[in-house]
Amino acid sequence: MQKWRIFLFLQLIVLAACHRDIRYDASDAVISQPDTAFTASVQIDLLEKKFSSSLGLQVHSFGAFVVYWDGIRVGQNGVPATTGQPEVPGTETSYYQIPDKLSGLGKHNVMIRGTQKYLLETERNVMAKPESYLKMLRQPLIELSLVNLMAGAFLIAAIYYTFLFANSRHKQRTTLLFAQICFLFFTLLAMEYLKYYIDIPYTQFYTRLIIVGWLTFAIAVLIPVYFAVHFDVPHKLPFIGILLAALVSIYILKYGHYDLTAHLYSLALWIASVLILLYALIKKQRGSVLVLCGFAVSMVINQYMFYDFGLYIAFTLILLCILYLQTLGAKQLEEAHHASLLLSSRLQLELIKKNIQPHFLRNTLTSLMDWVEESPAQGVLFIQALSQEFDVMNEIAERSLIPIRQEINLCRHHLSVMQFRKEVTYIWEDAGIQDDEVIPPAIIHTLLENGITHGIPSNGSSIRFLLTFLHADTHKQYTFEVFAENRVRSGRKSGNGFRYIEARLKESYGDRWNFTSEPFAGGWRSIIRIDL
Amino acid sequence: MKILIIEDEARIAKRLARMARVYFEQQLTLTVCDTLSKGLAFIEHSSVDVLLLDLNLNGEDGFEVLEAMVARPFHTIIVSAYTDKAITAFSYGVLDFVPKPFDEGRLFQAFGRLNTKSKISDSGLKYLAVRKGGVIKMIEALQLNYIKGAGIYSELHLQDGNQELHNKSLDALEQLLPSGEFVRIHRSYIVSLKQVKKLMIEPGGKYAVHLTDGRLLPVGRSRYKQLRSKMI
Repeated sequence: MQKWRIFLFLQLIVLAACHRDIRYDASDAVISQPDTAFTASVQIDLLEKKFSSSLGLQVHSFGAFVVYWDGIRVGQNGVPATTGQPEVPGTETSYYQIPDKLSGLGKHNVMIRGTQKYLLETERNVMAKPESYLKMLRQPLIELSLVNLMAGAFLIAAIYYTFLFANSRHKQRTTLLFAQICFLFFTLLAMEYLKYYIDIPYTQFYTRLIIVGWLTFAIAVLIPVYFAVHFDVPHKLPFIGILLAALVSIYILKYGHYDLTAHLYSLALWIASVLILLYALIKKQRGSVLVLCGFAVSMVINQYMFYDFGLYIAFTLILLCILYLQTLGAKQLEEAHHASLLLSSRLQLELIKKNIQPHFLRNTLTSLMDWVEESPAQGVLFIQALSQEFDVMNEIAERSLIPIRQEINLCRHHLSVMQFRKEVTYIWEDAGIQDDEVIPPAIIHTLLENGITHGIPSNGSSIRFLLTFLHADTHKQYTFEVFAENRVRSGRKSGNGFRYIEARLKESYGDRWNFTSEPFAGGWRSIIRIDL
Repeated sequence: MKILIIEDEARIAKRLARMARVYFEQQLTLTVCDTLSKGLAFIEHSSVDVLLLDLNLNGEDGFEVLEAMVARPFHTIIVSAYTDKAITAFSYGVLDFVPKPFDEGRLFQAFGRLNTKSKISDSGLKYLAVRKGGVIKMIEALQLNYIKGAGIYSELHLQDGNQELHNKSLDALEQLLPSGEFVRIHRSYIVSLKQVKKLMIEPGGKYAVHLTDGRLLPVGRSRYKQLRSKMI
């Protein structure tokens, strides 16, 4: 879709840049201004016409006036003031059709007569340009089609990225910034070409330019800010401060020179962005090379195309580069999401494996065979305990957080099973448990398994387990203690069990947790702390 | 018969002990250890005829255990839930691998191998573990030239000319070594078939094999036929 838009866009540029089809000489306007009423006259020498359709005349002037071509009235712009009647201001640019019989080659006289009650302080300049009337009708259409295409694309992008930001869980500042930049750019284009849609009285002529100026100012701030945030450059605030100072200086120094100011703003934008991009390039950040190339091309375009268009195409290029960076960001999120899904399913699998691991099953079944052969009634109890453990395991297998009571049930069932197998008395105790708390599945269970494996029953033949819960202002804490003599552990300090616990905590709490597990005199203590 | 059971699950240890008592009846001394360290301590001070060993003891890796055990003079029978480790266990030189869950029939079959002189023909033994100065050295069965009995020990004669002393008797090793590759040619000798160059009849009706390294080994009269059939 984007490719087609660019293609169409380029085609329209080619169309818009048609060769001139009229050759003429025009004298400077001779203006006589006794009062607020004025008369201006321009001598036009038509040298060549390459069209056979009607001749048109484009007039740039402030005021309300009537236009005469070779002494014949061809139209009027606004209503000039007369005694008792106030002036109705005309627009800065106005268009007129010249009768065919008066549009032959040779010298012609354009006379403009009217009043200018407002904005007298601005130096008046009157211009009259002959042109094919048909072309004068078509030209705005062609320009608008191009601009609307761009503006529409950026409006959609602005809306899309605003929604994306509003509805995403990982709110990224760059997304919102990009939406804002797109919206500002859309507004800038709309303001710039508003003149074709509505009649703006000359009294309001500068209002539009002031708005365009401020929009350019905002864009010139936001684009470098975007890059600074995206590439995470150091000293962002001082950098933005310097940029702002530069822009304000331009505003003050060049006050009133609207086009020049906008041009300088965009130059400041360009320099600030390229500095950031060079930093990103040195740091070998993804996308920096492509965006730098985009900036180089935008500079070339800006240099070689006529003012408005060049600037907007350069902006468009820069925005396309940012769009590319956005998609890179989206790709990273997608990858992270994918990785988290993988982690989840891997953990789920690990959880299921815990209970269907062949050696767990085979050892359990061997004990079970013995119980059935030796004491069938106990064997039945054993089978029930085993099936209860499986039931709980089955219920929690696909969840990333489960109620703490369910976890405790799982532990209790596991202890019943292991009691049958190991013929050790296991005692479960808990304190301070809050029933509405949730916990990643089977992490206490894993600590329990470790306790069974590495604990030697003290005081005869029992091992006691104690789970306590503490809810403080800043954190929640589970403490799991095994009261038994510790077996000497050989080899690895932390095995698969600890990795499972850590992966589960990371899955559910990000970096807001802490897990420690170490021996004490008379047992082993594990502490899981979750920061609030 | 002196049996040592190293098993960390009380119930399974009881089961093994009960079945062993049934099989060996009166002539049995039985010891159960629930950790490897207890088992090793017991072996250092007492003699054992057969060891029933679980591969995973309180999270300890079974194969370090196994290497330490197969270097001992007695036979080892693995009783484990890790059935996928059976082939590896055989390659290290265990007498049998009884997968859990097991019943009486399967365990008795393993006990049966202790008494019969029959070999575990396709045991797949690849290494012989030798204890030397407190460390265990694994010797590839393919490196063997021949084995000479030396009382309760065996001398392993290797192709590179080195000799190692193995704690198992020649009878015990004969049971473990794959029959297709190794032949008992004499009361005191097992030879690797690949190293036999020719079979010779010496004056006085004595038989001998000529090995590729030039060595001559005697062949027992009763074993001559079996050796000849394997060589053809």
